[in-house]
Amino acid sequence: MTSSAPVIEVTVFGLSAGAVFGLLALGLVLIYRTTGVLNFAHWAIGLLSMVGYALLAKTGMPPALAAVLSLGVAVFFGALAYRLVFRRLNRANQLIVILVSIGLATLLSSLAQMILGFEAFTAIPPWLPVDDLRIGRVNVRSTEIFTAVTAIVVAFGFLVWFRASRTGRALRAVAQNREAAALAGIDEVRHSTIAWGIGSALAGLALLMVLPHSGGEQGAVITTFDLTPFGTLLIPAFGAALVGGLVNLPMALAGGFMFGLARELLVLAPKPWSDMRASIAAVLIVVLLLLRTERFFATRQELEALEL
Amino acid sequence: MAVAVDAPPRNPEAEPRAPSATEGSGRRTRLIGLGLLGLLALLPIPFGDFGFFAGQYALVYAMLGLSVTVVTGYAGLISLMPYSFAGIGAMITGLAMASWGWPFWLAILLGALATIPFSVLVGVASIRLKGLYLAIATLTMANALGETFFQWGDVTGGNTGWLISRPRVGPIDFASDRMFYGLCLAVVLLLLWMVEGLRTSRTGRAMLAVRDNELEAQALGINVYKTKLVALVIGGMIAAIGGGFLAALLLNPTPSAFRPPFAEVTSILLITLVSIGGIDRALGAFFGAIALVIQQQVFQGAEFFFAFFGIYTGFTVILFLMFRPGGLIQIGKLQLALIRERPVLGIAVTVAIVGLNVGIAWLVLSLS
Repeated sequence: MTSSAPVIEVTVFGLSAGAVFGLLALGLVLIYRTTGVLNFAHWAIGLLSMVGYALLAKTGMPPALAAVLSLGVAVFFGALAYRLVFRRLNRANQLIVILVSIGLATLLSSLAQMILGFEAFTAIPPWLPVDDLRIGRVNVRSTEIFTAVTAIVVAFGFLVWFRASRTGRALRAVAQNREAAALAGIDEVRHSTIAWGIGSALAGLALLMVLPHSGGEQGAVITTFDLTPFGTLLIPAFGAALVGGLVNLPMALAGGFMFGLARELLVLAPKPWSDMRASIAAVLIVVLLLLRTERFFATRQELEALEL
Repeated sequence: MAVAVDAPPRNPEAEPRAPSATEGSGRRTRLIGLGLLGLLALLPIPFGDFGFFAGQYALVYAMLGLSVTVVTGYAGLISLMPYSFAGIGAMITGLAMASWGWPFWLAILLGALATIPFSVLVGVASIRLKGLYLAIATLTMANALGETFFQWGDVTGGNTGWLISRPRVGPIDFASDRMFYGLCLAVVLLLLWMVEGLRTSRTGRAMLAVRDNELEAQALGINVYKTKLVALVIGGMIAAIGGGFLAALLLNPTPSAFRPPFAEVTSILLITLVSIGGIDRALGAFFGAIALVIQQQVFQGAEFFFAFFGIYTGFTVILFLMFRPGGLIQIGKLQLALIRERPVLGIAVTVAIVGLNVGIAWLVLSLS
């Protein structure tokens, strides 16, 4: 009767982590597909939303409202990054594009540190209801369920919008063939800015889900470690994006769940395997890279547009 | 269909390459570069002990930066793990010296050799993975090494690391900061000479060709895979040598510096400093490292030191890559050309640029 309770608990945990990876990956893929920039500064732009939230929450505003408003910070900086920097780069020269996005990551994460006052520890209040839920023998935190549900709703809403709306169609057109899109009267710069804005908002939401809720009811305490989440967030997000070959949005979302569940379910594995938790993302990424997943998802035209 | 056959048009502005306007007077430019190098090497003297202390860091960063010059600047491979290679060098040097009692020079050689399997691993990945995929792969590998290799107590000496001493050659003891600075300077000069020589060698020109256009390079009969592999192995060994000197500089190298997120952050810092100095010239790593350490020292006293430092370097690297992808070296050459053509204007602009930076430094120092 050791029952399935731990399995359910771990699954919920994996789903909420996966939802966050999925959101980050959606933003990465959206930006990469439309503008050919693999954004290494993705988390840093999202981080600014978190900083905006921390500042707004301090003024006494209801935390949930502060969280929603602070998404605008990421939208602003994402759009600004495209307008001022990435629009002016030759995307055929990936070396420069990647180096610039890395420089931007340094710049923005340092900016976040400065605004937070460069304290070793910063207290951040939670904005989702924090409770320990007990259903039968299963113990889960409400924030995990909220994170998973919110992320899934937002992600599906985004996917439907991307499929059905006029702007979504225009974004796909820009991704597939810039010249033809321009001939059809689609403003490439405007739509690329939209892609950067929305992609960055998704990153902002992802970081707002994780960081303020990593603690208990008192909110979280953020250290300077959390301001450079390479291993904990960026690498699994890249992995998730690779599941869809960096171009397929629904697969990137699914990939997020894959990385989240793989990492958390390993806790249940017998001893030598459960030590792999930290490196499971690396193993999966190696497999995905060797599979060259972009072959399955991108049309020939898209591959040419992205110079792969 | 003639259009499709033609090589894709290249945007010379965006290439990480200095313009050829001053190629004709190469010798004089080189002399000026060497003179500047000598002048910068003497920079610590007026600052006394502190100057030599900071100078050692600059020289070790220059060694580490040279590995980025070879791998990313010459061969165009975006590796986000140069500092992990340095870590392998540092830890193996520490292991061989502290627990086997090896002399420094043999230990550092072992450290350099120890990176070869890892370089080959990245090399195998680089056949199949282009540009950004390789960036993801190396970022992942840096992270995975931090969770495995740099957690391995037998090799890294556990969390306390290794206690080692600085080398001694016959009667000369390099234990003091001044002597060690001199030793690092000699090694940096040797590496600079080798890396700059590599650039004009057959192998180096093959690397540049592969960087500029892989298909064209292949059509010229260059073995693309071998060229990339050689660049990675050389880069890894240079990084490991730098890591060995870092270990001797610190006296107590610990593995935590090479675990995430420090491994990634410092690798990014190395790439940044080389981009600022000039990514495809050996001297770029040297100038970049000195610029970086000066910035570090200037911002040291400021209240939000790391934040200011990151904002300043991040901002600089973006501007440089956008407008002067050749870095400080390109700016220097452009200034020289301007001075040659219009001396008054050229000197005025140079003084203004230098003055602006000194002004910023003075402002920061007086605020903190």
